[in-house]
Amino acid sequence: MPARNYKQWTANPPLQQGEWIDSRLYTDQAIFDEELEKIFKRTWIPVCHESELPKPYDFRTTSIANEPVIVCRGPDNVVRAFLNVCPHRGMIIERRPSGSFYEGQPSGNPKRMTCMFHAWQFDMKGNCVYVSREKEGYQDRLCKEDVGLRRLRCEVKFGGFVWVNLADDPVPLEDWAGAPFECLRKTLDAEPMEVFHYHKAIVDTNYKLWHDTNCEFYHDFMHYHNRVTGFNDAYFARKNESFDHGHIVVGTFEVNYDQYEGFESRAGLSFPHLPPNQWYMIDLFPGMNFNLRGSALRCDVVTPLGPNKTMIEFRGIGLKRDTKEERQTRINHHNSIWGPFGRNLHEDLIGVQGQGTTMRPGSEPRRILHGRQENQTIHDENGMRHYYDEWGRWMDRLPSDPAKPYIAPTAVAAE
Amino acid sequence: METSMLTGGAGQAGSYLDQRQGLVRDAVYQASLMLDDQRWNDWLALCADDFTYDIKSWSPEINYDMTYLHASRKDLDSLIRLLPKHNTDHSPLTRHTSVYTVELSPDGTTAQVVSSVVIFQHLLDGTNSHIDSGESRLFLVGKYYDQLRFEEGTAKFTARELRLLNRRLDKGSHWPL
Repeated sequence: MPARNYKQWTANPPLQQGEWIDSRLYTDQAIFDEELEKIFKRTWIPVCHESELPKPYDFRTTSIANEPVIVCRGPDNVVRAFLNVCPHRGMIIERRPSGSFYEGQPSGNPKRMTCMFHAWQFDMKGNCVYVSREKEGYQDRLCKEDVGLRRLRCEVKFGGFVWVNLADDPVPLEDWAGAPFECLRKTLDAEPMEVFHYHKAIVDTNYKLWHDTNCEFYHDFMHYHNRVTGFNDAYFARKNESFDHGHIVVGTFEVNYDQYEGFESRAGLSFPHLPPNQWYMIDLFPGMNFNLRGSALRCDVVTPLGPNKTMIEFRGIGLKRDTKEERQTRINHHNSIWGPFGRNLHEDLIGVQGQGTTMRPGSEPRRILHGRQENQTIHDENGMRHYYDEWGRWMDRLPSDPAKPYIAPTAVAAE
Repeated sequence: METSMLTGGAGQAGSYLDQRQGLVRDAVYQASLMLDDQRWNDWLALCADDFTYDIKSWSPEINYDMTYLHASRKDLDSLIRLLPKHNTDHSPLTRHTSVYTVELSPDGTTAQVVSSVVIFQHLLDGTNSHIDSGESRLFLVGKYYDQLRFEEGTAKFTARELRLLNRRLDKGSHWPL
């Protein structure tokens, strides 16, 4: 077809409903605000890894859907999560990214979370244990028992990741993500793991566009090693398997790293219960990715900052018992592809930022195609279709026309 | 290795050491110019065969001294050869480098150098060139920790560790820094 005029350009594509979506999902402020309320405040987010707070009284701060969150390890070794907000006047309690409450702070005592503003103190279970000049100010009208922290659902699971949910009544974590993690459960739970890499990127794009890129392998053509040395029958035979709640898993195959130009075999280092050079990928709704490739595990977590602004946190994970040499090998392998100066990550981020350039608040709506059908193998776009069907249910919006309420794809196709 | 700090000596020994110190400073500044100009192979020619290259940073998030990139001379040869085959943000990078200290080993055969470096990115095609092209942004801040060895009247890099202070690296880069 020759280049199209406006009417042709904005017409629906000759595909089934569900095989394309409306770009307003990536650009509309009202939809974005609704996503934070309806999705991010109700789904499990792996905010960090337990190795980031290894000792009692260690803490890590993060945020979910604009709400500051603190995760801390108690003297009982239990990891708990709270809103990082003082119940007095709303001050953020802890400002550092990580640290320990074992030592005292200028306004407070050791082993306490202390709000620096008025010295209210909380223990590692979120109980308020000290209100400065309590009786003088509140007499008997309000006491410590009335002003505990906001407790959040928190579990350490699936390889030691710390999962937090802002809702009081979420789907149990095992029901939420147990099935997609089944392919790696034995490996991830075999022994303690440890984070060795962390960096973050803030890019001008919608968070779903990053997750889309993690869900589709058709963009292999963007990456030199993938398009030149990665393609073979076994590669194309990998399946994109869909799971409840919008998750997908990409099945494994053996990567021939020794065929990558400039690379050497990576068969010498793997993970428990896995043969060498395997490549599993788990994509969790609404924006988390676990990518085990040979000797390193990568985890991406998105934090949506606006319709056209997303923070992505990247972690690299190995085994806690790694020797110094093994750890360095994992780090090198991880970074050669996935580090901020690696071969693929830079290209992936240019890609999604380029999408963000064409789809920003105020851009004219367009159709984004998710219609490749290849028997659910690696270049099929069924992963994205599965994701947006789940998105439609959570949002009660039709992905191809978000002004309309959600209708299941089969029902739409039958209309 | 035990090293001695040079501040510019006197007499014959001072002149000799000053000369060596000058060679080291010249090498660091030549490397900066070559990296600015994307003369990758000329930059590598300043490096010994056993050269190692690291980009590192301390993470207060995970309390870990991270290596973002580790490469041997052979790895860098390959990385540079493949650069034209990658899709890259072509926005030029230029750096302001200041050599802070040069320490020569007691036998005068090697040197350790600490330099401050600030790298700017001059937008070309990274995002939307119509709007962004021409803008200059702070890209990276850190220090070069270089080790050099004197060979045949020149100072060759045997190791470079770039320690970054900013850890929000956004799109990152394919290029040696």
